[in-house]
Amino acid sequence: MSVRPGTLDLRSVTVKAGRKTLVDRVSIHVREGEMVGLIGPNGAGKSSLLRTAYRINKPASGTVHVNGEDVWRQPTEWVARNVGAVLQDMPADFPLTVRDVVAMGRSAHKKLLEPDTAHDHALLAAAIALMGLAPFQDRAFRTLSGGERQRVLVARALVQQPSILVLDEPTNHLDIHHQLQLLHFLRGLQTTVVAALHDLNLAAMFCDRLCVLDQGHLVAEGTPESVLTSDLLRRVYRIEATIARHPETGNVWVMPSAAPPIG
Amino acid sequence: MHAPVPKQNDPDSHEALLAVLQSAPPTHGVNIRSMSVAPSVVGGASGYALVILLMATLLATVAVAGLMLGSVPIPGGTAVAILANLALGDTLVEPYWRAVHETIVVQTRMPRVVLAALVGASLGVTGMTIQSIVRNPLAGPSILGVSSGAATGAVVVMRWGLLGFGVFTLHISAFLGGLVTLFAVFWVARTGGHITPTRLVLAGVAMSAILSALTSLIVLTSPDPQLASRVLFWTLGGFGTAQWKLIPVPLAALAIGLGVMLVQARRLNLLMAGDESAVALGLNVQRFRQTMFVLAAALIGITVAVAGVIGFVGLIMPHIVRFLVGADHRRALPAVALLGASFTIGADLVARTVIAPLELPVGIVTALAGGPFFIWLLRRDARGLGGSR
Repeated sequence: MSVRPGTLDLRSVTVKAGRKTLVDRVSIHVREGEMVGLIGPNGAGKSSLLRTAYRINKPASGTVHVNGEDVWRQPTEWVARNVGAVLQDMPADFPLTVRDVVAMGRSAHKKLLEPDTAHDHALLAAAIALMGLAPFQDRAFRTLSGGERQRVLVARALVQQPSILVLDEPTNHLDIHHQLQLLHFLRGLQTTVVAALHDLNLAAMFCDRLCVLDQGHLVAEGTPESVLTSDLLRRVYRIEATIARHPETGNVWVMPSAAPPIG
Repeated sequence: MHAPVPKQNDPDSHEALLAVLQSAPPTHGVNIRSMSVAPSVVGGASGYALVILLMATLLATVAVAGLMLGSVPIPGGTAVAILANLALGDTLVEPYWRAVHETIVVQTRMPRVVLAALVGASLGVTGMTIQSIVRNPLAGPSILGVSSGAATGAVVVMRWGLLGFGVFTLHISAFLGGLVTLFAVFWVARTGGHITPTRLVLAGVAMSAILSALTSLIVLTSPDPQLASRVLFWTLGGFGTAQWKLIPVPLAALAIGLGVMLVQARRLNLLMAGDESAVALGLNVQRFRQTMFVLAAALIGITVAVAGVIGFVGLIMPHIVRFLVGADHRRALPAVALLGASFTIGADLVARTVIAPLELPVGIVTALAGGPFFIWLLRRDARGLGGSR
């Protein structure tokens, strides 16, 4: 038995904060092994939508199914075993080492008082090595740079052995080298991946499918080629851009030229 | 099809690591021992065992010192022999000491040392747990207001002489005072079905301030001029009332409390990562925080009931222990119990010897020793102590 890619099924999900509607009846179906990018301007509701999948935001209406099960009807441990969430950051009030933080990912798999097994140690070591964290594994998490922290949180999600990885802007603290490296790594994982991304070109390069959120609505969905058009960028991001193809990889390439002045 | 990305690892190793990551537990025959990646050995099991051994030795040493020193000095060898005689009988350890020495060791000093150890250990583990519950390393047992509530409860009974539980009246009223305060803090902090760490701390601070003022008011308006000095025992703590029949309750409380905390140690770890991470990692944060809050508060209530309010032990010991063995509660909780016990026995020893034959409230010693240390910690590591976010 090994970890198999799972499905994520958002059905008409609405998220509210008080009276404000952050996400309005969004339906997205993510298939096994697919890599889906969630894009959209600041405040479009990307994080709010993703947070329904790991039980932070309870949808005001609509359902979230992972591998056919409603995550809001399952125990929290079940969700943690199936959905690996990579958060934007983690508070660091305590002197936790990198290894301590990664080890937290095993918690949902352990019974009370069950000690760490050789299997757990092997998983930790593998995730730490894959994220290039071996040199810092005994350092305090709070002494790391933003980019290093982000890789620790990815490693923590990996040892959860989830069938779906949900990442909330996983590249925002990373330099271009680590951005490419992380997305390439996620692509090679053979796991279902849903990621909120800001960089449109990276999203186009690595994702099978893009979903565009704007003011809480799903306004476009499809392959990067079909979604990233001058017209959509003007409507959603209010920018002027030329769409080209990368001369070597053939990916769509967004070349912004102008945005209206502030105010 | 994708942009070429330089790989740091050679492909075989990369593939092997990925295979491990996808592997199920070894009942399915994955030979993980053959993996070249080994768990870190720094701060590993042997280092931890050594720290625990040293702490246990320290505890034994301080405890024997606690039996030896006092108005009647008793040699360490005699004190240990009396203990051995108590455990093994006259045939194996023949008594060669004066009967009065045995009485002093067994009836006076030992219950005092044992009580100090139990209270110190309880304060250490509750301090560590509370710091995790409210995700704030600057919090301590007294932050929840339960200590002040217990002191107020005792003072009310001393002033008006309510309740009738015989010799334990004061202890029980202190515990009830703590319990009432607990529910009050709980009620204030709980808004919309949620308890956030910040609200818990603020509710505790507000309740402490109100109750301290009430205690002072009761003392100042009392016709009994002795009340003020008797109140000091509750507000600054002490083990002067220690006797064997006082031991079972705090012993059972520590055993149960520490037991539950150890069982829940992984979950306490998750709370240190913040609520959002903890939920994503599979913890029902709200329910867990409430359960642990009640447990910690009950344990504090009992320590205050038997020994009054002793500050700084629950605040300082967790920091020293995390520095020595790391923040993982599975390792840190047993260590903080040992260190808290040693520190409190030591503080009590100082409290009853520096101005002998008079006695200082032990809370004065712990505050004078712990306070400067705390300030030093703050100055040394401003970022470390809750400086970030």
